[in-house]
Amino acid sequence: MNIKKILLLAGAAVAVYVYVKQPERKKRFLREILRQVPYLIPRYFA
Amino acid sequence: MADYDVIVIGAGLGGLSSGALLAHRGLKVLVLEQSGRIGGCCSTFERDGYRHDVGASIVEITQPIELVFKALGTSFGEEVDLIPCDPIFSVMYRNGERITVEKSIEATGKLIASLDPADGRRWFDFCDYCSDMMDVLLDSILVEPADTLGDMARVVKKNPALLRYLPNFMSTYQDLIQKYFKSDQVQRTMAYQSLYMGMPPALCPGPFAMIPYSEHRGIWYPRGGMIRIPEALVRCGQKDGMELRLNTPVTSVIVRNGRAKGVVLEDGREISSRMVVSNVNPRMLYLDLIGEQHLPWLTRTGVKSLKYGKSLCMVYVGVDCKPPLDAHHSYIAVSMQEVNDFWAKHVETGVMLPANANYGLVCWPSHSDDSLAPEGHHVLNVIPESFYHLKGTNWDAFKDRFIDEYIDYLSEKLVPDLRGHITHAIGSSPVDFERHLRLPEGSIYCFHQDASHQAVFRPSSKSKCIDGLYLTGSGTHPGGGVPTTMSSGYIAYSQILKHERC
Repeated sequence: MNIKKILLLAGAAVAVYVYVKQPERKKRFLREILRQVPYLIPRYFA
Repeated sequence: MADYDVIVIGAGLGGLSSGALLAHRGLKVLVLEQSGRIGGCCSTFERDGYRHDVGASIVEITQPIELVFKALGTSFGEEVDLIPCDPIFSVMYRNGERITVEKSIEATGKLIASLDPADGRRWFDFCDYCSDMMDVLLDSILVEPADTLGDMARVVKKNPALLRYLPNFMSTYQDLIQKYFKSDQVQRTMAYQSLYMGMPPALCPGPFAMIPYSEHRGIWYPRGGMIRIPEALVRCGQKDGMELRLNTPVTSVIVRNGRAKGVVLEDGREISSRMVVSNVNPRMLYLDLIGEQHLPWLTRTGVKSLKYGKSLCMVYVGVDCKPPLDAHHSYIAVSMQEVNDFWAKHVETGVMLPANANYGLVCWPSHSDDSLAPEGHHVLNVIPESFYHLKGTNWDAFKDRFIDEYIDYLSEKLVPDLRGHITHAIGSSPVDFERHLRLPEGSIYCFHQDASHQAVFRPSSKSKCIDGLYLTGSGTHPGGGVPTTMSSGYIAYSQILKHERC
């Protein structure tokens, strides 16, 4: 496994850990943001 | 040659601001309004000698408004008689207790300290933080275009301090309030204000936590009703030749060779213009008035993905006595958790909560201006919490019962004997607002105001796909509210000066 893949996996693991440690209301806020991510580029062109 | 330089569709605050400013610049401007009244949500109507405000109930953060009137060669204070509101609000607890919050930051500090001494000390730190954040936001993003990444870079370059506060968009209103205040009773005096941005504290972006502070910079009521603000804009515009036609719905925008060339009215008549400024909901503009065939697929997808924000339900009440209230605004005290739960358990499921568990805002404008009602009588404009999509029923069937139960609840628990003094009560549901004001889903702030619907992600003030088309109103940057919609009018005006021959 090259260093890039290791860093990517480590980053993903940290992100999941940080998410899991958040209180439920904060998770909801983050989920709302994530749910909107696919629309950000189209909205930029609106 | 075109009939007009500019046609403005919609006489809301954004449309009238840009129309008046463009007329002042010497352009031939025509404003077309589908209803019989100007101002949109910032308006006033009369019933049996009582004057009720349609939606907006006070003015605060007046800098963008001052900017518009200054550009018109006058001032807000000269055009509108503003009555300062102090105390700024009262909080009504369900056990009958009340807290009245004065404008003075020191007095509020003492009040908070009486509830929780540590929170009282932190109140001053909170005010310092919010004061700086508010100055930075007002100086930068609130009055500048935010259509592109280039615009955003210019805004940051103008005031680099903005970078300090941008991370707040990834935190919430609740995070910031709870960072400073630990007492539940203190938090209850600040939970409701997140709904000023149309979102519960757990979803509202952090920068809006400055609202409980911003009210302490002053709130005002225009003598004669909120309609005095759009009336002042019409007066200024008409001095410079702006034409206004009421009861004139527009059915489509004429687009030729990728450029807006005028409008078609409901009666089929065409009016041509060099530019079109739209003050209608951007989704309605692009999908209904222009048509999907004129939109690139990315724009079409973006427009369709925009989610409508908080729905408005109002009860306009006349009473034959002085109501036992303490301020222009009275909130029903509510915890952050209750507001969040209302959103998660009711708005998202469509099940309305019972009237006696509802909360909301009671506006008492005749407290500030006694000319709004016959002598000895008063006006109350009540805003219960509500939403558009009801499960198993619809607003036409549900409205009367809902309003009746809500008034009973207010009368029994919060405003004693209100029921016995009512001369009239008129309800307006989210569906009524949709029908009469062309607010889809009764959404007073148009789209959501979370980070994914802000700045570059809100429809652009200069259309990215149709030349000569400019957008204003709550559906564009910087969003819904009296100062912000006027700011959007100013931004559309400045975009026209930058991109068109004027």
